[in-house]
Amino acid sequence: MTKFVRQLQFQLFLLPILAIYSLFTIYPLIKSFFLSFTNFDGYSKVYDFVGMKNYVRIFADDAIISAISYTLFFTFSKALLVTVLAIPLAMILDQKFFTKNLLRAIFFFPSIPSGLLLAYIWGFILAPIGSGVLNTILRELFNIGPQPWLADPLLAKLSTIVVATWAITGWHAVLYLAFLQSIPKDYYEAASIDGANRFQQIRFITLPLLAPAMTISVMLLLTGGLKVFEIPFALTKGGPGYETYSITQVIVLRGISETQYGLASAMSIIFFLIVLAIAVFQVTVMQRREQSMQ
Amino acid sequence: MTNSNKRIWILDILMIPAGVIAFFPFYLIIINTFKTMQDAAKKPMAFPSKWIFSNYVQVFEETSILRSFGNSLTITFFSVSLIVIIGAMGAYPVVFNANRLTRFAMLYLLAGFMIPFQATLIPLFQLMSGLQLVDKIYGLIILYMSGSVFVFFLMMGYMKTIPKELSEAAVIDGCNVWGIFWRIIFPLLKPITITSVIFQTMWIWNDFLAPMLFLNSSSKSTLVLEIYKAKGEFTVNWPMFMTLTIITLVPIFIFFIVMQKHIVRGIAAGAVKG
Repeated sequence: MTKFVRQLQFQLFLLPILAIYSLFTIYPLIKSFFLSFTNFDGYSKVYDFVGMKNYVRIFADDAIISAISYTLFFTFSKALLVTVLAIPLAMILDQKFFTKNLLRAIFFFPSIPSGLLLAYIWGFILAPIGSGVLNTILRELFNIGPQPWLADPLLAKLSTIVVATWAITGWHAVLYLAFLQSIPKDYYEAASIDGANRFQQIRFITLPLLAPAMTISVMLLLTGGLKVFEIPFALTKGGPGYETYSITQVIVLRGISETQYGLASAMSIIFFLIVLAIAVFQVTVMQRREQSMQ
Repeated sequence: MTNSNKRIWILDILMIPAGVIAFFPFYLIIINTFKTMQDAAKKPMAFPSKWIFSNYVQVFEETSILRSFGNSLTITFFSVSLIVIIGAMGAYPVVFNANRLTRFAMLYLLAGFMIPFQATLIPLFQLMSGLQLVDKIYGLIILYMSGSVFVFFLMMGYMKTIPKELSEAAVIDGCNVWGIFWRIIFPLLKPITITSVIFQTMWIWNDFLAPMLFLNSSSKSTLVLEIYKAKGEFTVNWPMFMTLTIITLVPIFIFFIVMQKHIVRGIAAGAVKG
């Protein structure tokens, strides 16, 4: 077999993935960019270039502004909450106790089913009416009247964050657990011989060695959080008003439902840039932190 | 010894309440599937005043849950198989025949790693209509194949650990490129294939956005779409909706029990390497 034929055979292996990726990822992204400078409405063949007009309109669109601010608030609050809960949870699950395996499974399981389904379950708990489960508990235990968990702007936002945190904390605890278990036990033995107490061991051994796990975990939380859609959609449908509209939901609303292709495309491009900027920023900052901690 | 024993119990006592709270939503839906509407509305948290099983019969009669289950199974099976195959195929020349061309291909794929599905949504919608892939099960499968970029990078990382001599020896034995890949390389990828299959299955099985946008007719609904539609139909009949939810959770729970070790290993491997 000649060398040329062999080379050709090798390159053929790349063909399917390059074709699919070019057609369904790169081409649509480029086209998003192109459409964002037009007033294309999805139907008429004739459309004009409108320059930056769509990008200017984004900042005058209440729904879009609301969606961006909610999505960022959701993303950062959830990332913070999950990180603060998952690290201690992982440390506890790293100890030996009787119900460890059962508890690990209970905390981990919610990360497996679809977010839509989980949010619908929570919809019954958080139902704003008196017969909602949480309102029933509050009434019977503390005699507190019904709270509008999903109807008040702030409560609705917090509710979506709590549900999302409940769903994913166990998953991130497992990630941290993998790192905890890779820390050699003699580090702790050496530290305790030197007279370090449990708190000092956590502060000076465990946490620094968890820094790389934190970089990964936080990156997954941030990129995942920005793409949020199902949990607020299932809990509040984006309401009240546009208060819990996610960026994804607003792109679907303006782009697909209202066929404002130009505007929605501009939003898509802004979204892509937000994801990119946060990912790059986060990884650089946290890697620097990893180095300074070690 | 006594000291360490005491510590064990303290953690149990401390963590069980947290576990109960985390599990509470599941308890709630399970218990309400055995109640009548009135019973569920009056006392949502209590055990049923009278256990009934008619909700389960009714769900199978009134919804097309089995058909949706079949659709989800078909879509997930074919998408995941194709994703893993073309992801592994793509990684093969990049690792075993590294040159300027494959390096360029790798960088090209890397560039797309951060592109969220949502950023391509509008043109994708046009493209799918243009190619007449909307409302077709195979259309969705083709769309999902773009998930292979993620698998490509997993495979690439793993393939680098396979000694090059292995494929060189096969060349001497007269095996061609195609044969080396399928008979020697692909079987060696089993651990990373399992990881890929699990994560892609979880993504596609649970996906809501793409089926919502690209499957319209109810005969093509996936399970997640079925739940979405049922939420509209059974707004007042909570026990019915919860029964549907529980039934859809059963296969997910079995998947979880069977795969838990692999899922944990996948998270750990991805995290420690990443």
